[in-house]
Amino acid sequence: MTAAESLAAPAAGPILQLDDLGVVFTTQSGEVPAVRGVSLLVEPGETLALVGESGSGKSTVALAATGLLADNARATGSAAVAGTEVIGAGEAALAGLRGRTVSMVFQEPATALDPLTRVGKQIAEVVRNHRDVSAKDAAAEAVDLLRRVGIPEPEKRASAYPFQLSGGQRQRVVIAMAIANEPALLIADEPTTALDVTVQAEILDLLRRLAAETGTGVLLVTHNMGVVADFADRVAVMYQGTVVETGPVEDVLLRPSHEYTRRLLAAVPRLSVADAGAPHAARPAASAAGSEPVVELDGVSVVFGRGRNAVRALDGVSLTVHQGETLGLVGESGSGKSTASRVALGLVPPTEGTVSLFGTGLARTRSRARRALRAGIGVVLQDPVASLDARMTVGECVAEPLRVHRRGLTARERQDRVATVLDRVRLPREVARRAPRELSGGQRQRVSLARALVLEPRLLVADEPTSALDVSVQEAVLEVISELQAELGFACLFVSHDLAVVQHFAQRVVVMRAGRVEEQGDTGSTLLRPETDYTRRLLAAVPVPDPVVQRGRRAERLATLAAGRTEATA
Amino acid sequence: MSTPTYLIRRVLQAAAVILIVTIVVFALLHALPGGPARGILGPQATAQQIAAFDHEQGLDKPLPVQYLYYLGQLAHGDLGTSYTLNEPVSQLITERLPKTLLLTVLSAVVGLLLAVPLGMWQAVRRNKPVDYVITTLSFIAYSTPVYFLGLILVLVFSQALPWFPSQAPQGHTLGEVLAYPQGLVLPVAAGAASMVAVFSRYMRAATLENLSEDYVRTARAGGSRSRAILWRHVFRNSLTPVVAMLGYYVPVLFGGALVVEQLFNYPGMGLLFWTAAQSSDYPVLLGCVLIIAVATVTGTLLADIVQRIIDPRVKAGRS
Repeated sequence: MTAAESLAAPAAGPILQLDDLGVVFTTQSGEVPAVRGVSLLVEPGETLALVGESGSGKSTVALAATGLLADNARATGSAAVAGTEVIGAGEAALAGLRGRTVSMVFQEPATALDPLTRVGKQIAEVVRNHRDVSAKDAAAEAVDLLRRVGIPEPEKRASAYPFQLSGGQRQRVVIAMAIANEPALLIADEPTTALDVTVQAEILDLLRRLAAETGTGVLLVTHNMGVVADFADRVAVMYQGTVVETGPVEDVLLRPSHEYTRRLLAAVPRLSVADAGAPHAARPAASAAGSEPVVELDGVSVVFGRGRNAVRALDGVSLTVHQGETLGLVGESGSGKSTASRVALGLVPPTEGTVSLFGTGLARTRSRARRALRAGIGVVLQDPVASLDARMTVGECVAEPLRVHRRGLTARERQDRVATVLDRVRLPREVARRAPRELSGGQRQRVSLARALVLEPRLLVADEPTSALDVSVQEAVLEVISELQAELGFACLFVSHDLAVVQHFAQRVVVMRAGRVEEQGDTGSTLLRPETDYTRRLLAAVPVPDPVVQRGRRAERLATLAAGRTEATA
Repeated sequence: MSTPTYLIRRVLQAAAVILIVTIVVFALLHALPGGPARGILGPQATAQQIAAFDHEQGLDKPLPVQYLYYLGQLAHGDLGTSYTLNEPVSQLITERLPKTLLLTVLSAVVGLLLAVPLGMWQAVRRNKPVDYVITTLSFIAYSTPVYFLGLILVLVFSQALPWFPSQAPQGHTLGEVLAYPQGLVLPVAAGAASMVAVFSRYMRAATLENLSEDYVRTARAGGSRSRAILWRHVFRNSLTPVVAMLGYYVPVLFGGALVVEQLFNYPGMGLLFWTAAQSSDYPVLLGCVLIIAVATVTGTLLADIVQRIIDPRVKAGRS
């Protein structure tokens, strides 16, 4: 169906029609165009994925389509939802449209709900915004909606506050609000990015089922090609504010025509699966596993809090990292992987068990000796914005470990060391004089890496170092780390939730679950032929960026889940 | 933490704080040079007379002994006897405290009722003329000393325009004071001014912060109008930090009352404290400080309890 055919009957036409959409932001440094000449269609019942890297303008397009742009944004061109023009429309017209004809699901379920209002009431509010129903009926409808989005005990959960729900449940509540009035168009802006892979798979299944039930068209904004392969019918690729390629999902993901799409797809780390082609061979460990461990956790338990409120964050965790090797530490949120890395850093004392760094027990060392041990560890953290002091120059940030641990150095020597390490992470030496905020996310993460490596550590602890970065930038940062590792021979403890990245980057992997080590082994065997059900489920939930393969994986996963359920009930 | 456990813990903490305050004040008062005898007996008093007074009042004993004696009295509800007024301190306070409470509570209520909507209005009209005007007035009101503001109020609204009396009601009981409400207008206005200034700033900041929260966007995406979102969601969320500040504001209110009572000749705690300070009337001073400490601690406790009611996350131990 084309736009021309639908002129006679607007209800049957495209549910979203963008024509030459442009968005300009007015900032202190002038006018910044974010989106230029975007024309797109979403037909009823189809899912269009809008993909691109950060800053490509994909979220801006989604917000413009609902008139939710920030006050300093100006939209031009046309965005019509079910035939109603959004651009230039007043608040009354937009409020009539939002939540009834078009709904949105946002990225961050932690902040998307009012923390002080019970979730049932928030859903009922959307119902009553558009339909003349009593408060009581709306509350009953909210309970039904909670049931439809798969919240257990919906009558009870309706009176819960958002903080009493898990991230996945909160996202289900946001979805319940979005489908409350059976909208013709659902705009989902990175709906699963903040969630664990198993939860992501559940939420995608839910969205797919709801869209199919009601014939709702979906505009899915995402950077995750696996999610695209899993969910979309058609794909539009955005780059620097314009759409560079549009087409059916198989064409765009398997036979991309635009140069940028090809580059983007090449940078996506792919999870190798046992039944899909040759097994992936991770880089062999640089040194024999028999060498002296750089860091060793032995039977470590960590308990936070006391008495009834005590939380056992780690329970009998043993792991070692050897010189020159990378150990991937994977698991879902709350599995204890970050706590384990903090124990290795000596930041969290173990309640039970022992930690040794470079062959010395951490518990027995006191301040001075402990500081000397710490000089042998470099750390890179997840958030490239928050982990650098905004009031220091890049040079000062990188030099700080030298000031603390190499007090004998002259200013001149420090400068030289900073320049050398900036060369190593492939940043121009001039960035030393600049402020962190003047750099891009990938550059900032390389500054963090430079700071971590300036003391030439024997151990690098990287806690989700690339999960805030775009795939192309992630690829470059990981490449720098592995090159330097080959050159300097440090051990690396690599904490990540991304199984595909770990599969490519680490030689050995430790899978954590609820504070325990679920299984560990060589990446090649453990992530291809896992021994435990949990790891198998975790791997099955990762969407791969190939729509044909992913369709098969999804069917398989759902079949396994269904079989598990009948087994459990039998 | 369950609510009863929480309350017991907080009350015990409060009692400890009050005890420490009495120790500090007791030590500070007695560290002052001069002492009460000279002030009371006059410059002509001989050394013997002073020694006799000190002995009679127990002031010649070591400080810890004096303090323990004071605590012992306190346990029986006895705050001592005023040196200058020859009346039990507890009686002086029971007479005056209700009047001061009336003044401070009225100032706080009037102040908040003005400050909260003003702050929200400013946030909604951010960087518009209304915002600038209220901001300017707030800074003027906040940076003007209370006694100066009080004088201007008297000059304008009592002298130039004979709308309100320049003296507060002189009644002995609350009933008598309330029978003459027009007399309370200027004292309450003087007391509330800085409250309006400070709390409209807090409310403006909190509202602005909440207006940019994701949940506001979610509500808009669900078809709610701006006004409904402001009152249904933003108002409550913005109020929590403001309520927390309220508890810490109690001593400031009492401090303001000290000046306002003096200015409008209102016989409350402020006036009592003022005269006692001038004549080194230790028992009265200690009694007043004790009352202010209790009021402050109660204020913060009440603020925390109100916060637990507004924000369910506080009760669950996260926020």
